Amino acid sequence: MVTKAVKSSLALRNWEKLRRNKLAMIGFCIVAFMILCAVCAPLLTPYSPTDIDLGSRIKPPSLSHPLGTDKLGRDVLSRLLYGARVSILIGLSGALGGAVIGTIIGCISGYFGGWFDKVMLRVSEIFMTFPQIILVLILVVYFGQGLMNLIFIFSISGWPGTYRLVRGKFFSLREENYVEACRAYGIGELSIMFRHILPNTFSPVIVTVTLSTAGYILAESGLSFLGLGVPSGIPTWGNIINSAKAIDVISNNPWLWLPPGLAISLFVLGVNFFGDGLRDVLDPNQ
Amino acid sequence: MNSESDLILKVDNLQTQFHLSRRVVKAVNGVSFQMKRGRTLGVVGESGCGKSVTAHSIVQLLPKMGRIVDGSITYYSSNGAVELSKLKRNGSEMRAIRGKEIGMIFQDPMASLNPVFTIGHQIAENITQHEKISRAAAMERAVEMLTMLGIPQASTRIKDYPHQFSGGMKQRAMIALAMVCNPKLLIADEPTTALDVTIQAQILELMKEMQHKYGTSIILITHNMGIVADMADDIAVMYMGRIVEFGTVRQVLGSPRHPYTRALLQSVPVLGIAKGERLKTIRGSTPDPSDMPEGCEFAPRCDFATKQCKTVPADTDLGGGHRVRCWNCMGGLTT
Amino acid sequence: MLKYFTFRFLSIIPMLFVVTIIIFIGLQLTPGDPLTYLIPPELLASANFDLASYKKAMGLDAPLYVQFFRWFSGMLQGKLGYSLVDGTSIATMLGHRLPATLELAAAALIISSVLGIVLGLISSVRQNSAADYGNTVIGIIGISIPEFFLGIIAIQIFSIKLGWLPVGGRLDYGESGFLSLLKHVAMPALVLGFSLTAALMRYTRGTMLDVLGKDYVKTARSKGLPEWKVIVKHAFRNALMPVILLLCFRLPMLIGGTVIIESVFGWPGMGGMLLNAVSAKDYPVVMIATMLTAFMVLLASFLVDLLTALLDPRVRFD
Repeated sequence: MVTKAVKSSLALRNWEKLRRNKLAMIGFCIVAFMILCAVCAPLLTPYSPTDIDLGSRIKPPSLSHPLGTDKLGRDVLSRLLYGARVSILIGLSGALGGAVIGTIIGCISGYFGGWFDKVMLRVSEIFMTFPQIILVLILVVYFGQGLMNLIFIFSISGWPGTYRLVRGKFFSLREENYVEACRAYGIGELSIMFRHILPNTFSPVIVTVTLSTAGYILAESGLSFLGLGVPSGIPTWGNIINSAKAIDVISNNPWLWLPPGLAISLFVLGVNFFGDGLRDVLDPNQ
Repeated sequence: MNSESDLILKVDNLQTQFHLSRRVVKAVNGVSFQMKRGRTLGVVGESGCGKSVTAHSIVQLLPKMGRIVDGSITYYSSNGAVELSKLKRNGSEMRAIRGKEIGMIFQDPMASLNPVFTIGHQIAENITQHEKISRAAAMERAVEMLTMLGIPQASTRIKDYPHQFSGGMKQRAMIALAMVCNPKLLIADEPTTALDVTIQAQILELMKEMQHKYGTSIILITHNMGIVADMADDIAVMYMGRIVEFGTVRQVLGSPRHPYTRALLQSVPVLGIAKGERLKTIRGSTPDPSDMPEGCEFAPRCDFATKQCKTVPADTDLGGGHRVRCWNCMGGLTT
Repeated sequence: MLKYFTFRFLSIIPMLFVVTIIIFIGLQLTPGDPLTYLIPPELLASANFDLASYKKAMGLDAPLYVQFFRWFSGMLQGKLGYSLVDGTSIATMLGHRLPATLELAAAALIISSVLGIVLGLISSVRQNSAADYGNTVIGIIGISIPEFFLGIIAIQIFSIKLGWLPVGGRLDYGESGFLSLLKHVAMPALVLGFSLTAALMRYTRGTMLDVLGKDYVKTARSKGLPEWKVIVKHAFRNALMPVILLLCFRLPMLIGGTVIIESVFGWPGMGGMLLNAVSAKDYPVVMIATMLTAFMVLLASFLVDLLTALLDPRVRFD
């Protein structure tokens, strides 16, 4: 009970600190607002994002279609709102997946060291040598396109960052006095590793997850823009822009690419602001 | 009392403030003193009392948010008096004085040398900045200086980088850097605080030697009473941005009149202290500089405070240059 | 010094080797007969071609490790194999495409390092000035805006509305000369380097502010050095090292970014080739292009390493 109270007061104190950071709060509001819009999509627009209406193709913004319609007569606003769901989902799941893999390998590597650590360190270095987009392209060739595939690909291409973070933290913590004390009390290695050291790595990992969510949303939009991300049937922010690649569309129909581009930028901006603020609060010496 | 030609520096009612985002800190609050040529002035006080800020104000090396708001600093060079506080912070006149007329040594020798340049380059740079001299000749002078300061094989060590020097050697290099242009005034800001005790004595000894050789005046800032007693001719005791007591070593250490000076002296361990006798500590802690008590700043911690202490005490001249800022200094303070 | 360089250079060789092994394994894992790409297309097309006997003749039925070394030594001689799609020699394709990508990446790298560092420097020296706030805004946009979106906006403004710069492509037919080259490369390189510029700017500002508070900067001022010398010589030399490390860390991102930028601006480089190959499942082309990218990153980070050692005596003497 006591530790719980202490924990919640610590969380409360951190929240208070975060609230005083103006940029972080602006970021938080942007992100919260956009997520809310995505969740409430059916309330905000009467159209389905995939309904094709060939009668009203490439219509500029009007009262019935606030952001106009695309080449197949689909409502851009509803595509934007429903696309937000998929884009945010991919970004967040990719970041979480990478963090989980990185944390597990980082724990083992950092706690036990030895050959496993040496090998994994090299592997992570090699992963970091390949530009992530190239890595994703290779994996797309071998595994094919698809929503789950993309999340999977992001997860396995994004683990080295978290891995190095967790590993470094373990290295510095495993020699600390309280870990020695745990050993002296006969607490098992697994328990020391997961119950006593691991919680110390959460703060920086949370920050990484936040910031890499932003990175993956950018990556998804880039890949979808190239036509290699999510299959084009599913609306995502990148896919909406993908259909606006042609030069005549760019100059004549700005409502097809400007809103999704702005949506991506705004959301990523919000996440970055929030993540930076979070880092200042949780991980001040970074 | 003094003939003007004797003086090297006169500080009059110096006020330096730090303008932070929401508040103003009066770091130096009306400091006045005079320095004669060839003498050493020890400035003592707890950390945060404004002794460093006073020193940095003289050469205008204050951080960005710090500025001199009032008072004057007059430096008497061979070409006449210069009003340092009126010069532009990084203007050519101020820069012509820095390094050439007034040298500085800082607290942490590890941090005060640039890690990416050789020791020799950093010393020679001071010469080439102020004199028309070839690089090789400047290096030659740097070698001479380091040799004089007891660095063996100075002509090869001069090509070393700071990380290849030990702490004591770095501080010797810093002294060489500060003294190489033969400045008339040397400001040493806690020059030995970061060093081992045995090295401390060597460095202080070297500073004395250099002073004898060149007739340099020294402002020595320290919180160590033992060092002042050993090195200084005059002492200024500072508390919360003011000089509370000023006088010769004999006056201040022999018959301290300010309760704060006494408390400082009693908190220093002395060899031969009687068994069972305890060192005295000063009760309380220094007040928040942006929220200072009314009247005498020391009153809340003072054992002798009276009602009168609610007003700021005037500077009382006790004769022979001994000045004290305390209402009760004339009465028989006995402990 | 020389010892350090040699050591650093030797230490990237195992990495290069591991990368080639990975690529080889990747090629072995490709669906279908992984070896077809090694056969010249003229031979494949000829009527009396017998795959089994050809394999035997060329030693393609040897154990894997033997094949690997054959493949590896072949690569060293420039025998990179043939595209599965149209049978073009991969070496020829690269000969056309690689220079374009190198040109684009190098231009972006130069523009963004110079711009990012200079702007960051200005920001740190004039902290909280209008210029500083302006830079902060650019920095925030730079890390949040997708590259392709920025590219589209740039085309819309500078090519379509203002007509100052070509919409895309490298050099038009019959065009030559440095000026027209510059005209073509300017916009893609700026867009490609935009996020790097922003990152470098933010980082340079931060490190410079940190360094400017250091005692050795005060020492430099106490010698009476002019302010520009204090900032450029004493402070900046020290701030540059962490900045270069960041640059090294961001290099893969820059090189990866060429894929998207080349597609936006129709730049005829490796990115487009890779993209076509991925859509057509042209495995050998994908793998060889990937290997080359990894080489580029490794080589670039080696060069950055050298630069750091040149700048920092502490690294050099370790």
